[in-house]
Amino acid sequence: MAISSATKAATDALAVNRAPVSVGAQEVHRWLQSFTWDFEKNRTKYSTKYKMANDTKEQFKLIAKEYARMESVKDERQFGSLQDVLTRVDAGNRVHPKWNESMKVISNFLEVGEYNAIAATGMLWDSATAPEQKNGYLGQVLDEIRHTNQCGYVNYYFTKHGQDAAGHNDARRTRAIGPLWKGMKRVFSDGFISGDAVECSINLQLVGEACFTNPLIVAVTEWASANGDEMTPTVFLSIETDELRHMANGYQTIVSIANDEAASKYLNTDLNNAFWTQQKYFTPVLGMMFEYGSHFKVEPWVKTWNRWVYEDWGGIWIGRLGKYGVESPASLRDAKKDAYWAHHDLFMIAYALWPTGFFRLTLPTAEEAEWYEANYPGWYEMYGKVYEEWRARGCEDPNSGFLPLQWFAENNHPIYIDRVSQVPFCPSYCKGASTLRVLEFNGKKHSFSDQWGERMWLSEPERYECQNIFEQYEGRELSEVIAEGHGVRSDGFTLIAQPHTSKDGKLWTLDDLKKIGCVFADPLKSL
Amino acid sequence: MSTSSNAYGAGIMAKTGKAFADEYFSEENQVVHESNEVVLVLKKSDEMNSVVEEILLGDRKADNPTLIVEDRAGYWWLKATGKIEVDCNEVAELLGKSFSVYDFLVDVSSTIGRAYTLGETFTITSELMGLDVKLKDLEKA
Repeated sequence: MAISSATKAATDALAVNRAPVSVGAQEVHRWLQSFTWDFEKNRTKYSTKYKMANDTKEQFKLIAKEYARMESVKDERQFGSLQDVLTRVDAGNRVHPKWNESMKVISNFLEVGEYNAIAATGMLWDSATAPEQKNGYLGQVLDEIRHTNQCGYVNYYFTKHGQDAAGHNDARRTRAIGPLWKGMKRVFSDGFISGDAVECSINLQLVGEACFTNPLIVAVTEWASANGDEMTPTVFLSIETDELRHMANGYQTIVSIANDEAASKYLNTDLNNAFWTQQKYFTPVLGMMFEYGSHFKVEPWVKTWNRWVYEDWGGIWIGRLGKYGVESPASLRDAKKDAYWAHHDLFMIAYALWPTGFFRLTLPTAEEAEWYEANYPGWYEMYGKVYEEWRARGCEDPNSGFLPLQWFAENNHPIYIDRVSQVPFCPSYCKGASTLRVLEFNGKKHSFSDQWGERMWLSEPERYECQNIFEQYEGRELSEVIAEGHGVRSDGFTLIAQPHTSKDGKLWTLDDLKKIGCVFADPLKSL
Repeated sequence: MSTSSNAYGAGIMAKTGKAFADEYFSEENQVVHESNEVVLVLKKSDEMNSVVEEILLGDRKADNPTLIVEDRAGYWWLKATGKIEVDCNEVAELLGKSFSVYDFLVDVSSTIGRAYTLGETFTITSELMGLDVKLKDLEKA
């Protein structure tokens, strides 16, 4: 068939001067730099006391096309593994029951952090002026949406293909009663999205991501594998492939303010506050999940912390910035003490408050007690002996009428909640860096566990008004509160949380709790 | 077991119990110390296993004698003094298929240090890019 004269003309022209069929991604990236915005009249909704320079770079030179191609390959690999081989080998039922419980907490909580990081990076996009920096933040917004879905999918997968679904599904419904939720919202939400935009970046990117995602999202996969869980490495290591760009965004945020006078005044305080805020929660909670939520141990949590937090984040990120005036966080000494002991303190309280959770906890076995004592000399005298007493009193058995919470009351060891971090602590029975401080403001008492949180509260007391469970439920009976806060399984009376993971052990119900007659009391009222 | 100071279990990490605690809580270890090392975490995959075994521990091993690679179940943990560099043109040649620096980033799980791309090369360095050293753009053809 004859072609038209117009088609022939076009074909002839292209034969002489061929249209480009592809352009290198980094050539496009360079070309895009000529498209900048006029920031003269830039009006951001989220202000910062720092002046962010407008020549900051994006380290990976990423354009939308390569970004989308890269992320689609990641998702194909991840979902391909989950839906094909991992389902075929029944991976969900190969997970040790204790670790199955840990993933109820880790993935559900990380999902909340990722969700809030969407807003945080959107805020940073609004605040930055450098086009490349904006490009980096924009990529991160999209990453955080991906991560939120991924974390949700982990719990969906465990629910559908694993064991004991209660708690993997719909964990959020217990958020009013579980004391771990509020602290998690402080680090994963408030710390990322409230206040000065650069301070939020330091919380999210320089500390949260560059420091704590390494134990939370990387090291956790080794513990998962050791305990039979191959779903978590498949998803979490894929999540972390985006985090390196987020760490770079955090670093470039610091680069953008390095020559600003405000940095010499405020940066070290902001860094210390962010470090303490993040470590105050992550350090004990991750340590507890790794060590007390596993059967097979990889290494002591304090070593994981020492490697990823102290030596590598501290030395490679913070130490290298020393010549630009960045100092070692003033709270590091207390953080190191917490990394050694605070997860043991927290487990003790978490086990005592077990009915308020959405997961099952297990007391250490004799073999595990030996491991703890070998790695944390002094552990048995402080914790091991108490667990033996609790076990002897039947703490796992619904017919025993014994909740470990009673032990704290009998021995006059009141449990308080730190107003700033919302982390529970028992100042008269702990080895971490917690001491009781009480301040009164507007006719209300506030308890604090450390000077670092107390200082933050003193500068912005109106920021930390969250009620804790002792204030919220004062005078209420425990089983009523659990029922009201949706802490029961689909039968309407068996608790989601349990003090054991034994398949043969009896499950506690609301009636078992009611018989004990435990009533919430605010310890600050008796001071 | 490696005796390199960059090894996963080097230094204080080789100690246990009281010996570990004594060093961990010692006065000099209550502040951060500047480090010239970099850490790279590579998610295990068909391509990354080849990069590690055939390039970093193979053809290019002599380029960086400080490099340590450890198998941590789902990922490879790498630590080196100064920097780690991967030329994705070499990876493409090894794999016998197109493999850009963005294909490489698909399985780069974490970085401690300043990581960046330039052309088809991925670099993680202890240098302070953007502060001490300018981050370069791809040169015009």
